[in-house]
Amino acid sequence: MDISDVVGFARLVVLAMVPYTLAAQGTMLAGRTGVFNVAQEGIMLLGASVGFLGAYLFDGLGYGLLLAMIAGGLFGLALSYFTTTLKLDQFVIGLALFFIGLALSTLLYKLFVGVTLEPPIIPTLQRVSVPLLGGLPLLGPILFQHNWMVYASILLSALLYYFLYHTGAGLELRAVGENPKAADSLGVNVAWQRHLASMIGGMLIGLAGAYLPMVYTGAFTAGIARGRGWIAIALAFFGGWTPHWILVGSLFFAAVEVLSLRVQIGDLGLPHQLLRTLPYLATMALMTFAFRGAKQPRFLGLNYDRESRTSR
Amino acid sequence: MADQAVTLQAGAGVRQLRDRLLPYLIAVAAAFAVVGVVIGVMGFNVPRAFTTILFTSFRSPNGLAQTLSKFVPLLLQALAFTLPLAAGKFNIGGEGQLIVGGTAAAAVGILFPDLPQPVLLPLALLAGMIAGALWMLGPAWLLYRFRINEILTTVLMNFVAFELINFASTEIWPDPAAGHPTTVPIGAGAHMPMLLQQPPLHSGLLLALLIAAGAYFFMGRTTFGYELVVTGANPRAARVHGINVRALFFASLLVGGVLAGLSGAIEVTGNYHRLIEGLQSNFLLLGIIIGLIARGNHLALPFVAFFIAVLDVGASALQRTLAIPSEMVFIVMGLILIFVLLSDVIQRRR
Repeated sequence: MDISDVVGFARLVVLAMVPYTLAAQGTMLAGRTGVFNVAQEGIMLLGASVGFLGAYLFDGLGYGLLLAMIAGGLFGLALSYFTTTLKLDQFVIGLALFFIGLALSTLLYKLFVGVTLEPPIIPTLQRVSVPLLGGLPLLGPILFQHNWMVYASILLSALLYYFLYHTGAGLELRAVGENPKAADSLGVNVAWQRHLASMIGGMLIGLAGAYLPMVYTGAFTAGIARGRGWIAIALAFFGGWTPHWILVGSLFFAAVEVLSLRVQIGDLGLPHQLLRTLPYLATMALMTFAFRGAKQPRFLGLNYDRESRTSR
Repeated sequence: MADQAVTLQAGAGVRQLRDRLLPYLIAVAAAFAVVGVVIGVMGFNVPRAFTTILFTSFRSPNGLAQTLSKFVPLLLQALAFTLPLAAGKFNIGGEGQLIVGGTAAAAVGILFPDLPQPVLLPLALLAGMIAGALWMLGPAWLLYRFRINEILTTVLMNFVAFELINFASTEIWPDPAAGHPTTVPIGAGAHMPMLLQQPPLHSGLLLALLIAAGAYFFMGRTTFGYELVVTGANPRAARVHGINVRALFFASLLVGGVLAGLSGAIEVTGNYHRLIEGLQSNFLLLGIIIGLIARGNHLALPFVAFFIAVLDVGASALQRTLAIPSEMVFIVMGLILIFVLLSDVIQRRR
């Protein structure tokens, strides 16, 4: 193991971080208004499917990304509409959307591509070297020679941080998830905030899904998200529902993923299946340690009823 | 006079049943209408598609046997989901528990192939139930001790189980003759007795129906069942009234693990007589859908499970004969659920 191995590993971690970052930031944004999305896995699969199909059928990755965002946004909006407006249980609706997203992802692929001997392939996202910074030793290849979605996801995290903690609108959004009654009494439109946050959150989760075929494989396969959507929920908790800690946490989860998929431990005499369970077991272990004092929005998972007399 | 009273009472019963059933019927009709428009626009033969989805199960003895064989794991998976759900907890780990249950049953069947059936079969089923419970132990304990969201932990354990079954069927007891990760067969003593030889139908059906009846009785007639429902309705009130809510969550999740583990053991001892990677099929997702559509009604649950089994068998036929992707039927199921939930909203507003 020499320095180039370390650089190579770190590069892969940064590359693998993006879907976690996007999906968890989307989860966080909706959660901050009290909408607890549990449909990530389904939305990511749908995003991967329509992202692939858009890129394949219209011959441009941009179309795929756009479609993935629209599909994810619609699912996010459906979630908040059924829960906030119609007062249905958030977990029940989330699971229903998970199921529908998962079914749609393979359905659409079968309808538009069908069963083929050779699965069609789309080009993967181009690498864009950042001027000047890309030429740095070590840091250049690790951080500044990636596809643009890597930079976008980091930038997005920074923007979300600024928005939530340094703008009035961000304060209002956070208030909705902490104490909707108080926010309501001060003239904040609780339902509107929830719809908007859940929709944008869904868009981000859809993008996270589209990233998978566009960066890793160039093809869509059923179940391509491999549990990343569920892990994104854990990541949102782990990051204390704050954009900056979610970004840090996504690096950790990405590192575990890269370890489990790329490292050869045949020499140690361990079955390779054991290594592949690492992301899931690590997530559970981490939750045990990190969750105890973890902060979460007080109204997370609850529907706001302005006619109710209690604060919950 | 008395006769009239009886008729009135019967009339009220019928009306009550009708009021209960009507939302379901409308939801099913609406879901089929939506999907009918979609596949019609795509140029498929809608009436043929619908008859394929709905009647494949009833056209041949084989179709019916196939439907009933699917009904068994679906019913058990649904119960594994709804019993914790009655207390407000979500078990999304049914397929992981099914896999370890199947693996444990296969292990018993492979390691003690010469034991007689009265010993080996119960032992295999028991092993499956214990394995399912053990697989749930982690998530249940994390919830009990640290209040960690059980949706996440149960679902993560599924992915661990996928690797376990791959390991068991490619490294521990692989069958090199099979082209797919599969273990060697289990001893004949671990085979579930057959109700019918041709078409094949195993007696796991009776076991599943017995358990469903037991669950119905348990939820409606026992203290524990009552406590589950009370806790699900209002955990805070339940706690105030002296119910140990956290212990109840723990216990309800373990019961779910036992039932899901049993469903795996039945698949191995009744259906495949070996462990096959992928034997979990889509039973978890369909079980969740069944549980959510039944909305906590354990009397309705077997009927919903049977209906979903019919749709699932129809889905495969749809793909075979009309080249319409089977996932189209999942969309039907998802829409049925959404419409059933919407009927709640409408009834609340009336």
